[in-house]
Amino acid sequence: MKIKDTPIDLNKAILQKGPKFRSHKVIFEENVADLKPTMSSLWFCLVYIVVGLFLLMLAAIVYHNKKQLDFTLFLGGIGIAILTFGITLVMPFVKQVTFDKDRGTFKNNIDRAVKLENIITFQILNKMVTSKHGLSYPCYELNMLTKNGRRINVLNHNDIEQLTSDAQMLAEFLDVELIDLQHEIIL
Amino acid sequence: MKKLHRYLIGIFLTIISFSAFAAEGDPSGFSALLAGISSGVDTFFNTYFGWFVNLIFYSVPVGEAKFPLIVGWLFIAAIIFTFYFGFVQFRRSGLALSIVSGKFSDPNSKEDGEVSHFQALTTALSGTVGLGNIAGVGVAVAIGGPGATFWMIMCGLFGMASKFFECTLGVKYRTVLPSGAISGGPMYYLRDAMAERGFGGFGKVLAVGFALMCILGALGGGNMFQANQAHAMLTYAFDVPAEYGVITGVVLAALVFSVIVGGMPSIASVTEKVVPYMAALYLGMGIIVIVINASHIGAAFSAIFDGAFTGAGVVGGVIGAMIQGLKRATFSNEAGVGSAAIAHSAVKTKEPITEGLVATLEPFIDTVVICTMTALVITIAGLNVAPFDGAGLTGVQLTAASFSDSVGFFKYFLALAVIMFAFSTMISWSYYGLKAWTYLFGEGKAMEMIFKLIFCIFVVVGATIKFGAVIDFSDAAIFAMSIFNIIGLYFLMPIVKDELTSFVARVKSGEIKKYK
Repeated sequence: MKIKDTPIDLNKAILQKGPKFRSHKVIFEENVADLKPTMSSLWFCLVYIVVGLFLLMLAAIVYHNKKQLDFTLFLGGIGIAILTFGITLVMPFVKQVTFDKDRGTFKNNIDRAVKLENIITFQILNKMVTSKHGLSYPCYELNMLTKNGRRINVLNHNDIEQLTSDAQMLAEFLDVELIDLQHEIIL
Repeated sequence: MKKLHRYLIGIFLTIISFSAFAAEGDPSGFSALLAGISSGVDTFFNTYFGWFVNLIFYSVPVGEAKFPLIVGWLFIAAIIFTFYFGFVQFRRSGLALSIVSGKFSDPNSKEDGEVSHFQALTTALSGTVGLGNIAGVGVAVAIGGPGATFWMIMCGLFGMASKFFECTLGVKYRTVLPSGAISGGPMYYLRDAMAERGFGGFGKVLAVGFALMCILGALGGGNMFQANQAHAMLTYAFDVPAEYGVITGVVLAALVFSVIVGGMPSIASVTEKVVPYMAALYLGMGIIVIVINASHIGAAFSAIFDGAFTGAGVVGGVIGAMIQGLKRATFSNEAGVGSAAIAHSAVKTKEPITEGLVATLEPFIDTVVICTMTALVITIAGLNVAPFDGAGLTGVQLTAASFSDSVGFFKYFLALAVIMFAFSTMISWSYYGLKAWTYLFGEGKAMEMIFKLIFCIFVVVGATIKFGAVIDFSDAAIFAMSIFNIIGLYFLMPIVKDELTSFVARVKSGEIKKYK
C-alpha cells in the first residue's frame, strides 16, 4: 500500500467558527488540568432550553383550555426543536476535557484518547469568523499536535488573553513547546 | 444577582402564559390589559414619530394622488445609475452568472472558511426571500391593486444597478476595526471615498446621517415590522388574539437576545442553514398554487398590466398603484437603501466588482421573480377586490389567505416560514444596526450592549403594536437611509465606473483567468 505523504498545515484552523466570548478556562488541580465552561456560555445555551420548555408549556395550556390541536402541535413542535437545540448546545460545554498526568492521557470525549507523552506542541492560531448576515470577529484556537500527526482542538474562543494564559500554563504543566502561529488575515 | 434575574424572567414568562390563556374566561382582564398596552404603544408611535414619518414621506400632488418625493428619489437614482453604468445589470448578467458558477475561481486556492460560489448563491437567495416578498407584496396589492406588481418589477429591474453600485463600494472601502472585525457599508464609503473625491467634510456628514437612519431602520423594518408580521401570521393561521403579540414578542426577543448578545455562531449557522429550505418551501408552495390555477395565469397578468396603466379601483389611480409598487419593492430588495452594502462587505474577494455583479442578481430574484410569484398567487385567488384601500385583508394575512384558498394546509407551512424569515431578518438587521451604532459611538462592550438591549425591547414592541404605526415607522426609517446613501452615490459614480472598465478589460485580456 502506498502511503500518501501529506504535509500538515499548522496554519490552518481546525474549526471554522467559534464563539464571540470566553467559553472555557483551564483549571489545574494537582496532576489534572480540566477545561471548565464559563457561566456566561452556559447561560446563553440555557435561554434555548427555557424558551423550548416555555413553548411546550404553552402548547399544553392551549390544548387544555381550547383543545386546539393545530396550534398545540405547532407550538409543541417548535418547542421541541428549540429545546433539542438548546440541549445539543449545552452538551459540548458539559463534556469533560481533561489532561490527566496520573493516567497519562488527554480525553475530550470527542476524539480518541491521546497519551500525554505523544503531545509534541501546543499552537495558538487566529482566524476570522465571517458571515454575510452576522458579525465578523476574530477568534482563536489552541490546538495540539501529536507525534503521529494528529491535530486536536483544545480551546476555541474569542478571549485571546485568557487563551494565551491557559496555553502557557498547559505547556508548562505538560512540559511541551508552545508555538504562536497567529498571522495577519487578509480578506 | 444572576440567579435572581433568572427567577424573575421565569416568573414573568410563566405569569404571562398562564394569565393569557386563563383569560379565556375573563376577557375583561388580561386581554384588556394587553389591548391597552398595544393601543398605548401605537399612540406613542403616532404621537412621537408621526412628524418623522411625515417628513420622510413628504408628498407633492400629482393628479389625484400625493406622490412621496422619496419614492421618486430612489426610482430616478436607479434609472440614472442604469444609464451611467451602461445597463450593467443586463449587459454584464452573463459575467455575473459566470462569477456565481465559479468560472473565475481557482479550484486550487480555496482559502480557509471561503464559501463556494454555489453556497454564496444559496446564501444570497435565502437572504432575498423574506417578509418583503410575503407581507410586503400583500400590502402593495391590497392598497395599489394588481397593477402595483408591474411597478414592483420595474423597480427590481432598475434597482439592480443601484445594488451593483453600492455593493461594489461596500467591498472597496471596507475597513478592519481595532478588534480585527471587518466593517463596511455606506458609513465607510461615504466617509473615505468622498474624501478621496475631495469632499471629506460633506462625506462625514452623510456617513453620520446614514448611520443614524440605519439604526432607526434596523429598529423599524428590520425588527418591529418582522415581529409584527410574525404575530399577524399566527393570528391568521391559529386565531391567536392580536393583543397576545406581547408573548410572541417575548419569545422572539429571548431568541434574538441569545444570538446577538451571546454571539453564539452555531445558532446563526443553524438559522442560515434552515432559511434556504424555508425559501425553497415558499417557492414550492407558490409554484404549486400557480400550477393548480394555470388557467387563471393569463387573466392575472392582464389584471397586473391593466392595473399598472389604468389604476382602476386604486386611490390615486395609476400614480397610486405606482407609489405602492415602488415603495414595497424597495422595502423588499433594499436597492439604494445601503443595507446590502453592509452585508456584502464581509465577502472574501480581491475584486470589488465581482461582488457588485453578483449582487445584481438579488433584486432580480427577489422582486422580479419572487414578488411577482406572490402577486400572481394573490391575484389568482381573487380575495383582493376593488376598491383597493387596504380596508380588507392586507399584508401577510392577504398573502396567507390567498395561498390557503388553493391548498388549505399551506397556511401552516407559511406560518413556519414567516417566523423563520422574521427571525433571520432580525438577526441580519441587528448586525446592520450594530455596525451603524459602533460607527457612531465606537466599539466597546458597554455601548454595544446598549444597542443590543434596545433592539430586543423593540422586538416586543413590534409584536405588540398595531400594523399601521409599525409599517409607517418601518417604511420611513428604511427610506431615510437612502437619502444619505444616494446623495453620496452620485458623487462616487466615476470610481465604480473606472473599476468596472478595468475589470472588464482584464477579463477580456485574460489577466483575470477563467478556470472552467
